[in-house]
Amino acid sequence: MLVLSHARLRRAATDPAAAMSHDIIMLLAAPFAASALFVAIHTNFGLHVLRRGIVFADLALAQMSALGATVAYAAGHAPTSAAGIAYTFLFAAIGAALLTASRVMPKEVQPEAYIGIIYVVATATTIVVVDRSPQGAEHVKQILVGSILAVSASDLPKFAVLYAFIGAIHWLARRPLLAVSEAVHSKTRRSLLWDFVFYSSFSVVVTSSVATAGVLLVFCFLIIPAIIGSLFTRRITYALGIGWLGGVAASAVGLAASFEFELPTGAAMALAFTLMLVIGAVLRGLIFAPAGGRRICIRIFLRAASAMIFMTVLLSAIWLMIMPRADQPMFDLLQSATGIGPATFLAVQDRAVYADALKDAGYRRSQESQLTALEQQSRWQGGGLSDTEVRRIGSFQQTFNEMARGDDFVVKSLSGRARERERWYVGLPLLITSLLGLLTLLPDKWRADPARSRTACLTFLRAFLHVADFVRRLGGEKTESAGDAMIRRSINGGTVSAGPKALTGRCQKTTYGCPDP
Amino acid sequence: MVMASRARLIAIVALCVMTASMHAAFASTRIVVVATTSDVASLASAVGGDVIEVKTIVPPGTDPEAFEPRVSDLSTLSDADLIVRVGLGYDLWIDKLIIQLHRPEFQAGGGRLVDASIGVPLLEARGRTPVTEDGHAHGLGNPHYWLDPANAETVTATIAERIIRLMPAARDTIVANRNRFLATLHERIVAWMQRLAPYRGASLVAYHNSWPYFARRFHLNLVGFIETKEGVAPSVAHLSSLIAEMGQNGVRAILQEAYEPKNFSEMLSARTGAPLVVLAPTVGSVPEARDYLSLMDFNVGALARTLATGSH
Ligand SMILES: [Zn+2]
Repeated sequence: MLVLSHARLRRAATDPAAAMSHDIIMLLAAPFAASALFVAIHTNFGLHVLRRGIVFADLALAQMSALGATVAYAAGHAPTSAAGIAYTFLFAAIGAALLTASRVMPKEVQPEAYIGIIYVVATATTIVVVDRSPQGAEHVKQILVGSILAVSASDLPKFAVLYAFIGAIHWLARRPLLAVSEAVHSKTRRSLLWDFVFYSSFSVVVTSSVATAGVLLVFCFLIIPAIIGSLFTRRITYALGIGWLGGVAASAVGLAASFEFELPTGAAMALAFTLMLVIGAVLRGLIFAPAGGRRICIRIFLRAASAMIFMTVLLSAIWLMIMPRADQPMFDLLQSATGIGPATFLAVQDRAVYADALKDAGYRRSQESQLTALEQQSRWQGGGLSDTEVRRIGSFQQTFNEMARGDDFVVKSLSGRARERERWYVGLPLLITSLLGLLTLLPDKWRADPARSRTACLTFLRAFLHVADFVRRLGGEKTESAGDAMIRRSINGGTVSAGPKALTGRCQKTTYGCPDP
Repeated sequence: MVMASRARLIAIVALCVMTASMHAAFASTRIVVVATTSDVASLASAVGGDVIEVKTIVPPGTDPEAFEPRVSDLSTLSDADLIVRVGLGYDLWIDKLIIQLHRPEFQAGGGRLVDASIGVPLLEARGRTPVTEDGHAHGLGNPHYWLDPANAETVTATIAERIIRLMPAARDTIVANRNRFLATLHERIVAWMQRLAPYRGASLVAYHNSWPYFARRFHLNLVGFIETKEGVAPSVAHLSSLIAEMGQNGVRAILQEAYEPKNFSEMLSARTGAPLVVLAPTVGSVPEARDYLSLMDFNVGALARTLATGSH
């Protein structure tokens, strides 16, 4: 993905029209640096949190600081004023104290349940306070749904200083802090102070990071690098290093993917972190397997992976054959990857209608956007349009959009019909291939007994035919014929052929061009 | 002479008694107009004056496009004689509330529901279903039409006509109210247009697409929007192309509403040097926007000030 993105950057750089590549690097540099900082401090807390077994504590603390900001707002302080910040940290500290108290709870109260209750109470109170001061709602949203993309370079020193300070405290007090985290399940009284130090520093970190990166991403920063580190070592310093490297790599991949595939940044990064965790787990399997067992491990892994792929293909093929007009995610993916559209599978006369509808929809949309551009220009250029002219443009825009929508409907129904044919041309071969593939993966003792595998195959086919028959009788037939009728109607004097002609008469009188090509 | 003055006195007293009783009659039969947003509420009270009592459902300062009605709103609605809505899918939730009222006269065509958008020339017309694919209510067209002050004339006409139909006796008062409002409005429109005339064609970027009507009236050029979908953060590609576009067009200000997140606007502002200006999309979203006229006053003033300081 990184390579792809570089290729795209280079493409943009050679394009004389835009100096976009520079912009993109500038745009991504600050979020990347911030992620590196966040991963560094959160991995440390994550290792403690994992040892304590309280992975959702950060949500409770974030919600408590959001409550603080809301109360500040309701009391008439701006969230960025000194009073606003004081309220936020006061409530975060209360949260820390409440979490510290989890140690003196009777052992029937599970720590996670206790944290959940803190979270729920804080959320509910926030909602009630927001309801009293509606303007505060946006601030709560901002506190809980930060976006890492909006970080600017000027924010970075603030984070660096804060995290260096907290990191120094944790380094100086590493022994008691680690001891108290590891002894969390033995209830000793003297550790309450260190518990409070831990939770209050945690609340400061979470308050600062959630407002910038959002709850989703902070949870990833906290837990996933820490797990990656713990996969390889028990030593906290090594785990920190490994976790940080993994987290920084995941951030880079996530940011690049969010640019390359136009994904929301937070979600793309969360997925990249999960991917990194999977890679870490596989690597650990390879590294820690006994020398002789490594090959067996790889074999088992490859076998499981290919079995999974064959199973996916098999199930998609079955799904295609039973319900060709339903959502077919695998075949959609295949279509967009190979560029082989539904037209390939249509009968010749349908193919022409499909191409026409596709072209027509594009044409209508371009006409509509031409009108939009015309109206936008007229707002500030020339004498402007009269209300009547604006109304006329509006009714044309509406008409073009509705016609495009009609074409979309034809395209969709024909795609469904293509899928119905595709199930024999594509579904059947895929079904057989994946079945054969699965057969080769069968345990050796099964393969040694051909009669047994033959019965298994036959049982499977019979079950498949039953299911297909059942689904067909349930209503497959009915929807098909309704869809066909719709297409027939739209071809014979419906949307497709009559649409443009119906407009021709009226359109010649207007000044905005005729909708006919 | 004495007789004449006496007759005059009697006449005056009789007139006083009559107006007082008429006033009392008005006071007792003041009709309750419930408006979905503060903007149509302000326009309704501008024409209704003392004849009506106006209540608003969406509290000032909240985003009406993200509003979720509460139980108390249903009790507000149950007092209504007339409901005024913005229309164009901007306040779709009122439909659900009206269904729960179980009073057919408030349903569409029942005569007591006013769609204030009727007769307004629609910009960015899209289709015939209010909600677009991305779940945002710009499906019929852009619903932020009250931000063109000239549209207030149409809207007040629609509302006035409906109130008069309910209270034919108050016809003259309402017509007089509206004429007074329109006189001020026309005066102000001239002043507003003069205020923004030096910035004709100024390129602007907005967080949400709320300002096309405003842009049309005051000859401004909206080149792009930060938000692409409601509630989803803009992607890197969108932001970078927006930055490039802002550079090419020489964007002079970023329009932001009080209840929208500021983080992206601030970042774009820091990167491009275009100042951020907080405008009021609805009456009451900033303290200065007390009613419809002061809303437009505030927006024109804030924008003119920003463009004046940042003029190259
Ligand atoms: Zn809107």
